[in-house]
Amino acid sequence: MKKWLGFAAAGLTTLLTMSSVIVPGASALAKSSNANFKVGLVTDIGGLNDHSFNHLAYVGLEAAKAKYGVTVSVVQSHQSSDYFPNLSTYAQQGYNLVIAVGFLMDSAVQKVAKEYPKTKFMIIDDAITGHPNVMSALFDTQQCGYLVGVMSGLMNEQKHIPQINGKNVIGLIGGMNIPPVTSYMAGFIAGVHKVNPKAKVLVDWTNSFTDPGLGKEDALSLISKGADIIFPVAGGTGDGAIAAAKQKNVFAIGVDANQNYLAPKTVMTSALKGVNIATEIAIGDALHNHFKAGLNFFDLKNKGVGFAPPIAAVPKSVLKKVDSFIPLLDSGKINPPSSLS
Amino acid sequence: MPLYAVLTGLILGGVIMAIAKYNPFAAYAALFSGAFGSPTAIGNTLAGAVPLILAGLGIAVAFRTGLFNIGAEGQYWVGAMAAVWVGYHFPTMPWIVHVPLALGAAMLAGGIWGGVIPGLAKAFVGAHEVITTMMMSYIAILIAHFMVENGPMMAPGYVPQSPTVAASATLPPILPAVFLNSNLSDGFFIAVAAIVVVHIVLFHTTLGYKLRAVGFNARAARYAGMNVPLYTVLALGVSGVLAGLAGGVQLLGVDFQLTDTFQSGYGYTAIVVALLARNNPIGIFFASVFFAALSAGSQIMQINAGVSANMTDVITGIIIFFVATDRLYGYWSQKMRPHRPSSTAAIISGKGESPQ
Repeated sequence: MKKWLGFAAAGLTTLLTMSSVIVPGASALAKSSNANFKVGLVTDIGGLNDHSFNHLAYVGLEAAKAKYGVTVSVVQSHQSSDYFPNLSTYAQQGYNLVIAVGFLMDSAVQKVAKEYPKTKFMIIDDAITGHPNVMSALFDTQQCGYLVGVMSGLMNEQKHIPQINGKNVIGLIGGMNIPPVTSYMAGFIAGVHKVNPKAKVLVDWTNSFTDPGLGKEDALSLISKGADIIFPVAGGTGDGAIAAAKQKNVFAIGVDANQNYLAPKTVMTSALKGVNIATEIAIGDALHNHFKAGLNFFDLKNKGVGFAPPIAAVPKSVLKKVDSFIPLLDSGKINPPSSLS
Repeated sequence: MPLYAVLTGLILGGVIMAIAKYNPFAAYAALFSGAFGSPTAIGNTLAGAVPLILAGLGIAVAFRTGLFNIGAEGQYWVGAMAAVWVGYHFPTMPWIVHVPLALGAAMLAGGIWGGVIPGLAKAFVGAHEVITTMMMSYIAILIAHFMVENGPMMAPGYVPQSPTVAASATLPPILPAVFLNSNLSDGFFIAVAAIVVVHIVLFHTTLGYKLRAVGFNARAARYAGMNVPLYTVLALGVSGVLAGLAGGVQLLGVDFQLTDTFQSGYGYTAIVVALLARNNPIGIFFASVFFAALSAGSQIMQINAGVSANMTDVITGIIIFFVATDRLYGYWSQKMRPHRPSSTAAIISGKGESPQ
């Protein structure tokens, strides 16, 4: 019976994808039986091309498809009233795992999880507890904030680098005083002060994630106060801060995704939030019956957070020192704060 | 019924999908099943039509009076804000008082926003309502942002959203056992009632006659002794009341809280709905269901047929285009009729001969 199912599934995959190559052997058979495992992804209204978590979740979904051979499907929501119908459509059609991207879908996921107790749900960047079939993916971004903080603190002492002015001032821009932002910031400040206790970190709030003009203005003001490294944790507002850093020939640090493409000689590294990794891991866990309901933290150890490869201007000695902190964070010897005091 | 308009749109959309290497038959099957394929789908389609019906009726009333209310989107959001505010501030109120109060607040807010302010500006200083309603719309949307982004209506916590309305302020679902897990709420009955009321007022009362008279020819109406400024304010007011009601019904029946995603688009789609229905209240029902069906169906088209979201938007856009321009068919069919050099079509086209 199982064998027959396997063949049927293999046939189905060929029919559906046309291009899929069935490699003979045991792994191919395992893969094709995985095709019965269906994963649906519902984006929020940001859509797939948001350069942020919707996009990264899709990258993770595609990676899981390639790795495990699971069947995947995506739907982009037009309006917030689409969240519930889209989630329930996947549940009704017998999808095994349904992924909701972003805290905007919090109430829709809570509602649909109750209606379809047999379906597993994953929500990204939101904390839902108390449902046996919902896992929440959260990110220990204070860890990657800490590492780029260490890098900034060390860089500020490299006075031979033309961009570094020797004033030992770093500019930190926050989009909004909310935990997903402040965890980066708190880790960053702790990291800077760990290696460079005398460094001055100037903090600035924009209260907007969508205003590059404001980000540029604030960054210019920080630079005029002596900052030679700018770390904006402010979504689209941060793009303006990076532009300001480029204009004034100082360094900047990207956030969430590798933002080096915005200014290749300015963005010295990026603090990464691995939504794609979390998505891929969650799909693998659900497939192998290791689904973990409740809060799931993604950290350095499982590559849920990290930093992008630094540009050549960052000396090897600095990078080596930064890397030396990774095992300390992994083992819990260093526990950066996740909120600003 | 512009049946062949729909058909042309479907065929052209199918050709485009075939070129883009999608299976048009699977895609259309998904489109249809997503809109009408199950009681849940029907429920969601009807639920999606509710805000379009209400806002569309409002726009139609303004059009009938010769006014272009382009700011229904903003009136929708002030209505939504008012309804939610009332909805979560009085948790102990009985249902029979709470829901009418919340909807009343939504209508009042929409009416003031869309009607009284732009209406008075138009009637007394001649400010054009296209500009004023649109600007008021931007103001409303930005106020709504302010309210939930660390503003007075933000719920505790860090997510930019309002508290959820109390259970006593929600519109209950219609036959939840039949329309399983759909968005369909009693708001549907409100929308149907609004169609009936607007139809009666527009076509069977003196008030409606006067509104339409102002719309046909404002100068003639003034000459006939009608108080044109009054009817201007009134028409825009009713228009705003209905758009505000759309926001209220949506928030109490479907969304239950303001979230930081202010792009419902209902206010803009409703303009197309009203135009498509030629400002006929009953036509607005069918036009709204049509738009809601395309929207609901296009989501299932992504899920079941794997058609990308951009492509589904192209397909629905093409279908809407052909439906909206269905007058072309009348024009063509007249033009194709042979040997009638004196026909109006021939005169319009400037040619006496029909093409082969």
